[in-house]
Amino acid sequence: MNFLTPLAFWFALTLPAVVVFYLLKRKRVTRVVASTLLWQRFLAETQASAPLQRLRHNWLLLLQLLMLLLLVLALARPYFSGKSSDGKLQVVVLDASASMQSTDESPSRFEKARKEAIALVNALATGKGGQMVVLVAGANAEVRQSATSEKAALRRALEGARVTDSSTRLAEALRVAETLIRDRPDAEIHLFSDGAIPELAEFETREMRLIYHKVGKGGRNAGIIAFDVKPNPEDPSKRALFISVANHQPQSIDARVEIAFEGQLVETKTITLAPTNTTPAVFIASQARDGVFTAKLITEDDLKADDQASVVSLMPQPIRVLLVTRGNRFLEKALAAAGPNVELSTAADHSAADAGRHELVVLDDVVPSEWPKGNLLAINVAPTNWFEPPVGGIEAPPIVNWKNTHPLLRFVTFDNIQVAKALQVKSPGWGVSLVDAPQSPLVVAGEMGRQRVIWIGFDTLESTWPLRISFPIFVANAVDWLNPATAKAEQFLIKAGDAFRLPLASPVTEAVVTVPDGSVQKVPVGVESTEFVWGDTGRQGVYRVQLGTNQVAFSANLLDAAESNIRPRETLDLGRFTQVKATTERDANLEWWRWFALAGLGVMLGEWWWFHRRTA
Amino acid sequence: MAGILTPQVLRRLEQFQLIAARRAKSSAKGERKSRARGQSVEFADYRNYVLGDDLRYLDWNLYGRLDRLFLKLYEEERELPVRIFLDASESMLFGSPSKFDFARQVAAAIGYVALCGFDRVSLHIFPELQATSDAEMLNFSQQMAIRGALRSVRGKKSSLQYFANLTALKAGGAADFNASLKRGVLESRQAGVAVVLSDFLDPAGYEPGLLALVGRGFQVNAIQILSPEEINPGTFGDLRLVDSESGAVQEVTFGKYRLAAYQQAVANYVQRLREFCKARGVHFFSVNSGESIEDLLLRQLRTAEMWG
Repeated sequence: MNFLTPLAFWFALTLPAVVVFYLLKRKRVTRVVASTLLWQRFLAETQASAPLQRLRHNWLLLLQLLMLLLLVLALARPYFSGKSSDGKLQVVVLDASASMQSTDESPSRFEKARKEAIALVNALATGKGGQMVVLVAGANAEVRQSATSEKAALRRALEGARVTDSSTRLAEALRVAETLIRDRPDAEIHLFSDGAIPELAEFETREMRLIYHKVGKGGRNAGIIAFDVKPNPEDPSKRALFISVANHQPQSIDARVEIAFEGQLVETKTITLAPTNTTPAVFIASQARDGVFTAKLITEDDLKADDQASVVSLMPQPIRVLLVTRGNRFLEKALAAAGPNVELSTAADHSAADAGRHELVVLDDVVPSEWPKGNLLAINVAPTNWFEPPVGGIEAPPIVNWKNTHPLLRFVTFDNIQVAKALQVKSPGWGVSLVDAPQSPLVVAGEMGRQRVIWIGFDTLESTWPLRISFPIFVANAVDWLNPATAKAEQFLIKAGDAFRLPLASPVTEAVVTVPDGSVQKVPVGVESTEFVWGDTGRQGVYRVQLGTNQVAFSANLLDAAESNIRPRETLDLGRFTQVKATTERDANLEWWRWFALAGLGVMLGEWWWFHRRTA
Repeated sequence: MAGILTPQVLRRLEQFQLIAARRAKSSAKGERKSRARGQSVEFADYRNYVLGDDLRYLDWNLYGRLDRLFLKLYEEERELPVRIFLDASESMLFGSPSKFDFARQVAAAIGYVALCGFDRVSLHIFPELQATSDAEMLNFSQQMAIRGALRSVRGKKSSLQYFANLTALKAGGAADFNASLKRGVLESRQAGVAVVLSDFLDPAGYEPGLLALVGRGFQVNAIQILSPEEINPGTFGDLRLVDSESGAVQEVTFGKYRLAAYQQAVANYVQRLREFCKARGVHFFSVNSGESIEDLLLRQLRTAEMWG
């Protein structure tokens, strides 16, 4: 048996009240009097003759009438049809990203959005065949309830939704919603969000009936948007912690940053955050073992989720680099200077005997007899399985574009670099082109299976690049990017909501995961599986995984500048030309009978009280 | 007479005499002026002698002067019949002191004044006695005897017996006010002073009874006796009131806030009664059985010139 409005059982609390009143009710006291004549006269006089006179002063009657009126109103099930949604199918998209945890609305934006969404559910005109879908866009888009007109199920779906610490991933949810309403002219999407959505350009040309319910009113927030641990370049025995704090308020504030290693406070520093700016800070800390650095920002703001970040820092390991070359002093020097832990060896060929002994192999214009299995920097070689044939050659390709946002090209510029001769290939599927000539990509970086590869399509000695400062920087970046330890460290630092993946060296049957709030979950792992995947990373913090005898920790962080800017947006920009304005209109068909019934009850109790007071 | 009236009151009462507005019409001799001619010391008129007149009443001086026979006529002094209608119904037993006790004291006082003035006092007690069981028969016959004795009392020396009988009187039963007064009117041969002692709370009204008295020529004094509880009820809440006589049930929700309205209703009732009486030359008094009887006897009745 199910109840449409189980909340109505709260009315059962009035039953004891009725019992109490029954106990209070007084029986009529029988008294023998000399004559009832005077009483009859008295009653006849007080209940005067005129019908309206009779109503005067009779508050009991008025109260009873009022109560009946309210009950009748309640039974009539009144509703307010302000802006009634005519949509037969309504897709509710509830933003469950980190910024929805902001407390500028009471108790939080998410709770308010949930309340408004439930109001929309209550207003659903099920009688006219109205249906609703509930999507929650947290770490990933989740269809909490498929199309139904069952209000209880919809409410349950909304009440079961949980806010996450992840970035906004509304595009995914809107994509799902859009497929649901496609070819339904009577369908509409109701988005409950604060509008901190970076990229919605893909919906620009879609005919989407999107109704944006804005939640939130303030923008008081400062948050950590970047946190990284690197070897200290000045003292390799110590670690440098880089932290960026964004202040999205129009005034500068002082905030305290605390750095802790494995829960032990290491250093604390007060920094002044410039208004609407990002302030970097560097901390130096020594580290004796693998562990987790946690940065905590202590300031008064509305969003707590971005006031903390943690990163797993492993002890630095030596990088064994094999340079296979016919002689390239520039490259050799650049590799040797790439990092404090680089152990460089040079060879003329990469043979089977070398396999697996190096973290990183550099092929400088040499086709090896045995292709290395590890990470690879390949210069001016073109194996046939990397590129679609034909592989041609071009003379003096001009460098027209490079992706300076890629970590490999950090601080690297290709201004004033000339190349004499290059290979002409088509852009491959396994990587992205970082440097482009009009005819061909010149530098490609990507991943093939578990192997990271950087391909340079020209001989560096046939270019002016080694003479530029960008060359050693690029090589250092490349060594860093190709270092398996870096990849491993990146593996242990994920964004909240992303899945954590860990290759399994040996088969295990069970993984024990300790999530940030301290609870322990046991997950069975298939014996044949070669990878452990943990997807429930909606909460930020440090997750510890016990896999057999092996224990690893990984951290999930928000670290998202767009999410830290919690100022609600009045409009949603769908690309450059389409805007969706926030609606403030109340969506209607809100039933009010509960309130009328409640008022009726109140009047009845008042009437009872009045009745007893006057006879006391 | 023990207790029914204090000696002080009795002494005061002895000074009073009932004032009759009309000449007495009683056939019995008494001390009241009457239209009848007869023997007394009070000269009234002369008339011519006719054969057979008592020669003792001839005015011999006139005969000497005028040589004609005139008979001297004197005013005959007759008694004044005082009829007291005493309500002895169940409802009169209420109140503290009960209305009946108060009524009997008034009846005793008026009777005493009348007896002192050589007037005939006859007490009509209503309702009629009704024996409800054998066990009450003895009581019943005793009461019948008392009532019979009170039907006609004359002479100051009878007052002791009169008081004793009044004290032994018991009330009870449901009264029919109008019927009782009408029967009293029919029973009386001569009109005189009538005193009605009742609470005037008969559902059938009081008008026909009083009108019958007035119509017969009685000089009517109506004394309404209400108990303090009737004037100022002290019971509040949801009440189920049972009429002591008719057994009728009246449900009333009564609170302090309605007290004033109730008292106004009582005052209205009394006022209507007062106006009815005034319009018909009836002396009307409304008294509270909880108050002192002396105020009524020594001041109110005197001010109203019932006695003086």
